[in-house]
Amino acid sequence: MARSISIAGVALELEEVGSGQPLLFLHPGEGLQPQREWFSLLARRFHLIAPHHPGWGNSALPDWLMTVDDLAYLYLDLAASEGLEDAILVGACFGGWIAAEMAVRDTRRFGQLVVVDPLGIKVRGFTERDIADMHAMSRDEYMRLAWADPAKGERDLMQLPDTDLAGIARGREAFTRFGWKPYMHNPRLKHWLHRIDLPTLVLWGEQDGIVSTDYGQAWQKEIPAARMEIIPRAGHFPHWEQPKEFVDRLVRFVETN
Amino acid sequence: MRCWYFSEMAYHPAWEAGLARGTLRVVLPSSNFDPPTGHGLLNRYLDEFALCDEVGLDIMVNEHHSTATCMTVSVPMALAIIARETKRARLLSLGTPIANRPDPVRVAEEMAWLDVLSGGRLEMGLVKGAPYEIQPANSNPATLMRRYWEAHDLILKALSTHDGPFNWEGEFFHYRSVNIWPKPIQKPTPPVWMTGMSVDTGKLAAERGHVVGTLLSGGTAKPMYDAYRQRARELGWEAGPDRLAYAAVVGVGATREEGLRRADQIADYVRTAPVVAEPFTNPPGYNSVGANVAIMKAGPRAHRIVKDRQGNPIDHRRATVQQFMDTDTVFAGTPDDVFQQIRDFSNRMGGVGHLLFFGQGGHLGHEDTAENIKLFGREVAPRLRELTVKPAAVAAE
Repeated sequence: MARSISIAGVALELEEVGSGQPLLFLHPGEGLQPQREWFSLLARRFHLIAPHHPGWGNSALPDWLMTVDDLAYLYLDLAASEGLEDAILVGACFGGWIAAEMAVRDTRRFGQLVVVDPLGIKVRGFTERDIADMHAMSRDEYMRLAWADPAKGERDLMQLPDTDLAGIARGREAFTRFGWKPYMHNPRLKHWLHRIDLPTLVLWGEQDGIVSTDYGQAWQKEIPAARMEIIPRAGHFPHWEQPKEFVDRLVRFVETN
Repeated sequence: MRCWYFSEMAYHPAWEAGLARGTLRVVLPSSNFDPPTGHGLLNRYLDEFALCDEVGLDIMVNEHHSTATCMTVSVPMALAIIARETKRARLLSLGTPIANRPDPVRVAEEMAWLDVLSGGRLEMGLVKGAPYEIQPANSNPATLMRRYWEAHDLILKALSTHDGPFNWEGEFFHYRSVNIWPKPIQKPTPPVWMTGMSVDTGKLAAERGHVVGTLLSGGTAKPMYDAYRQRARELGWEAGPDRLAYAAVVGVGATREEGLRRADQIADYVRTAPVVAEPFTNPPGYNSVGANVAIMKAGPRAHRIVKDRQGNPIDHRRATVQQFMDTDTVFAGTPDDVFQQIRDFSNRMGGVGHLLFFGQGGHLGHEDTAENIKLFGREVAPRLRELTVKPAAVAAE
């Protein structure tokens, strides 16, 4: 259930459910969205700890907190403060970027790493986009790239209460603060991925139009003990679009590593 | 009332292509720009600015990027030319989008240089910039206003510090040695202007005593002006009309029909300029969370609607010249008509001391533009200059 905790002076809201091996889940730029099926499926199998990033949900975003580096240190502090041991670190999309920034720094509290369609590295040339410019397209175009079946992702904003709309507006602003320039990546991160000493699963939605499976292969290549699996009929958010298959693959990976 | 002529220096030959593509800005390819045509237009527009000096008008220049609506990419560049071609006009930069500029000290240098070149005729607008300027500048909209205020403070300090270098170790800008040459003629700095549409902007401008201007915004202007005056009063001073500015399209003619025709042609700019591809109209963080909640509830496209004096919604893209007049976006007719409309507007607003006279908007040809400038400068501006505010007229209406 939701609770708040102060880490490095930042008031964080986090969701915590289930029991078993601890799993720290870092959400995408679109937010945590625990009301979707993935959340309860994952909680049936793990002790799921899922913070709302600073600026999303009811988590505070102090002025000084400006980069994904800051988020990485914040969550390493959170892992220590929660006393995590042999935890699974899972990050989806923007959360995958944060998870990688954590894992290149310190993996003491974690046993495995799963990155799901992560943003965060630059692979190709100056004029080749590795990451689609989500902020230079219409919402319809974005939905077509981000979802294999855009109808599954639609939310009718005009029906939501003001508090939810304010949460969406805050999250969009925070995502922009962390990812605007360089666009959704850290130019140096790729050169440090070799430091990740955890068994790693790179999970990818087959129809992801935001970051392609080729980009996923670059991640796999840079992380020493990584393998890649592809989830069909899923776009940028396989945990939302194919929650059962997402959880099945994650469980199989954890059990065999 | 002071009157400042301005022209966006539009590249209207590409408007049709932009309308067909659904955007005049950001992503309209420059294959739609013909350099020889641009050469003719830029030189013509600069001639029209020079004419203002002859008829006693002051001059304002602005800038935009990646757009067919405005060819000016650098206010200081345009004002440098205009400063040499004019003798009396005050020169208003409105302005430099300082949160989109990577180097505020460079801005301070350019402003000081312009002030020296023009003999102290510069007025210095430090502006937030429109939402669709974010993409061409690739500046982070989520930290825009924090960058704005840091740049603002740094620019004013750089212009007013004359006893050797100072250091600046801020959140966004870092200098070990700020020591600009030349220094400006006007002390401590050229007059500072801001632009905006919100009550918050009115308050923030009042706290610094800056002039605040609002562009083509009709009914939303009054709450901002009132907020300015009230904040000034709270701080122990009375804000006169000289702190408040308003930009409107103005068409003057020998007859009412001629004035309305000129205004109608200039207003094509207002009909065209809001046509911008969706993602660039509201980048995250540019507007407050509260404003974004209102935008999401209103649904797409609602931002193009303004209300007339009776509260009726008007879509800028399709408005008639009469509808524009009902939203105070356009003042038009004979010199008498225009004088009365502006006087009445100023009285309704409680006294506005600067009119930014949008006297060329693309489709208006050179002959008409020159006539518009001359008629306004000779027949309207002198009477506006004598204008005293009669806020009591508000109650009488």
